[in-house]
Amino acid sequence: MLKGLLKTIGKIYFGHKLVLWMILAVLPVGVSVFMLEMFSNEIVQHIPVGILKQDHSQLADRLERALQSSPVLDVKVNCHDMSECEHAVIRGDLQTFIVLPTDLERRALRLEAPVIPVYSSGQNYLTNMFATKEIRAVITSIGSDLFTASFDDPVKTEIHSVGNIEGNYQGFLALGLLSAMFHLAGMLVAVYIASFPLRDKRVREFYNYAERSWVTLGIASFVPAVIILWLEYMGCYAYTHRMLMPMGFEEFVMVSVAQLLMVICCVGAGMAFVGVTGVMRIATGVSGVIGGPAFAFAGQTYPVMAMPFAVRCFAFVLPLTHVLRVQSMMLLGDVGMAESWNVIKLMGGMALFWTLFGSFAMLLRWQYRLKHDSQIPVVVEDEDVVTVDSLFKGLLEKIRRRK
Amino acid sequence: MISRLLKVTLTEWKLFVTDPAAVLLLVVAGILYAFYYPTAYVNQTVTRVPVAVVDLDHSAKSRELTRMAAATQQVEVKAVYNDMLEAESAMAREDIFGFMVIPENMEHDLLNKKSTKINIFTHGAYVMLHGTIGTAFSTCALTVGAVSKVKAIALGKKVPSAKAMAMRDPMPLSIQTMFNNTGSYSNYVVPSVLVLILQQSLVIGICVLGGARGHRRFRRNQRYSEVENESMPYRYLGRSLAYFMHYCCFILFYHCVIYNLFDFPRRGELLPMMIFAVVFLASVINFGMCLSQVFLHRESSMQLFLNLSIPILFLANFSWPSYLMPSWMVGLSYILPSTFAVPAWLSIEQMGGDIYDVAPKLYLLAIQAVIYLVLGMTLTHLRDKSKFTTGDM
Repeated sequence: MLKGLLKTIGKIYFGHKLVLWMILAVLPVGVSVFMLEMFSNEIVQHIPVGILKQDHSQLADRLERALQSSPVLDVKVNCHDMSECEHAVIRGDLQTFIVLPTDLERRALRLEAPVIPVYSSGQNYLTNMFATKEIRAVITSIGSDLFTASFDDPVKTEIHSVGNIEGNYQGFLALGLLSAMFHLAGMLVAVYIASFPLRDKRVREFYNYAERSWVTLGIASFVPAVIILWLEYMGCYAYTHRMLMPMGFEEFVMVSVAQLLMVICCVGAGMAFVGVTGVMRIATGVSGVIGGPAFAFAGQTYPVMAMPFAVRCFAFVLPLTHVLRVQSMMLLGDVGMAESWNVIKLMGGMALFWTLFGSFAMLLRWQYRLKHDSQIPVVVEDEDVVTVDSLFKGLLEKIRRRK
Repeated sequence: MISRLLKVTLTEWKLFVTDPAAVLLLVVAGILYAFYYPTAYVNQTVTRVPVAVVDLDHSAKSRELTRMAAATQQVEVKAVYNDMLEAESAMAREDIFGFMVIPENMEHDLLNKKSTKINIFTHGAYVMLHGTIGTAFSTCALTVGAVSKVKAIALGKKVPSAKAMAMRDPMPLSIQTMFNNTGSYSNYVVPSVLVLILQQSLVIGICVLGGARGHRRFRRNQRYSEVENESMPYRYLGRSLAYFMHYCCFILFYHCVIYNLFDFPRRGELLPMMIFAVVFLASVINFGMCLSQVFLHRESSMQLFLNLSIPILFLANFSWPSYLMPSWMVGLSYILPSTFAVPAWLSIEQMGGDIYDVAPKLYLLAIQAVIYLVLGMTLTHLRDKSKFTTGDM
């Protein structure tokens, strides 16, 4: 049986499988590393802003210098009028512009509280948030020094991001995106492996390689893919986690278990899609429709609780949602660790369901195709036997010559 | 000449509306995704985020602060705890996503003109909730602080309260959001994704049909077809025209139906939109025609491009700014039409930009279109000359 298993694995994974290795190894790992590199700057800085200086007083100069010295902001343009700044925002050259109004200093010193208008694009959520927060901090600090430098603020606030002290959300976003990559890859790989014998009409060939055992064929087809994807996923996760706080061993084990369960769920789902549809391109399309936008529904960028009920149900069915929950719970230390067990149990149930359903659907599909393919001549790759492929090529050559 | 071109166009159009795989990509995907994506964000903003207050002070002031927090629209105070551990456990269960800790003796310190510090804790995994909770809690806390400070200034400097208020904040800020002024998440993310949906479905669709052309069964079946034996420029341009007209309908559909249905701002003027549609579709179609020459199996393009959708989306400069990306990545992004198309579309449709505002990006799209046209024609010519081949791709 072992011999048959190894022979089948060799046949499935190492026989001119460029696409398989692309979707199994090259793309998931490559894209994960790519995303990590993209967020290598970690925090948002140098946001392009403009200043429209209608007041040329010392206070306006002081405000301008303070804005220029902020690491978060980059004063790109000193506009001559509102329209110039406005069009720069529309072109995407500026995120925000600040108007220092006429008589700013004089009116401020006379306690007339002149309003400083800040115009922000609002189209980019992230840069908009950071830019307005920084501008507010810079201007308020200079304003409070004008008259009440001796008065301390009676209430000070400090915002802490639990488990993400540096506020490196991009690091966590990269972890989420790499999970989304492997979520999709799991489905696509399973669809490819399950359906290429159907597409190429080679079910009988693989069945014979597996010594006429469906169990051997199933194990040889899907278990190596699960192991390879899981190992890659763990490696990429550990590599990406460098951007955040160091991981403890227990945390690593817990996340790895969740990742394994997610990969099993996705592979099971991929098998089920092929089992139900029976056609590679349709099953790939279904995987794409479900796995492609899964990250948008998984709750990391936009919380699941703010989504409509039907979408929340869909999000609950996605294994990605749960693996992201486990990853985020790990940020909370021991308390999160205890809570994540419940999610792991749920994922275990999901993995079992998808594996059983996928295996059953595939078994029926393969058995059907085996029966159906029995009318097609066997392709035997032997030196003495003329293969169907070469016969077909010869036939085509004849047709071409005749033409 | 035109009739020959239109014949190819019509045949190509017939081919892809009768081919289930092509219909799935070139018709269904564009419609399905346009409804599927925005549905998640139909509520647009996050409100009533569940939070808690850890009250260690138990004073009238702390209760006032709790009431203020409960009254804000952004958060909903689900519980008031007596110690931090309870709040942390609730956060781990995701019953709450943040909490504010009111320190012991806060009221006492405020009355004695000592400063006090209020700590706000948010879940480190969610940037959006961090912003919402942080803003809601700190606004409440700073309002309490501002009242105390104004009183202190009025008493210390012996000025009326109106002057004391002006002295506390002599230059108030007024932040005006020019576009997307509701801070809607769907307005931010969906328009960019719609452009990407157009690009990806079109490229994969062309490759699926291109893959079929590379496959021997298609060649065998179609070898006597008049259209397949048409001269290469007619074939290439006629096929491109079919995709162009089909996708113009999609742009119209998004502009007229999807934007209305999901209440996205629709500021696009006719001229910039038409020019955008021409250069964007020309660039994407020629890009797809180039790539379609690589594949021998119809599914391969789907399997490969689905994996690339996420990086392509982030390379489009709408979420993570290009000035924060490594320069090699910015260079790489120049080969993709979406890199210029997404900002151009946002400028036109979301911000009401005129043709001069988007001209630099449209020029780049036009250059891409010309380069890919030449490359696509060359590759098609080479493929026509090639023998029947089989392979894994």
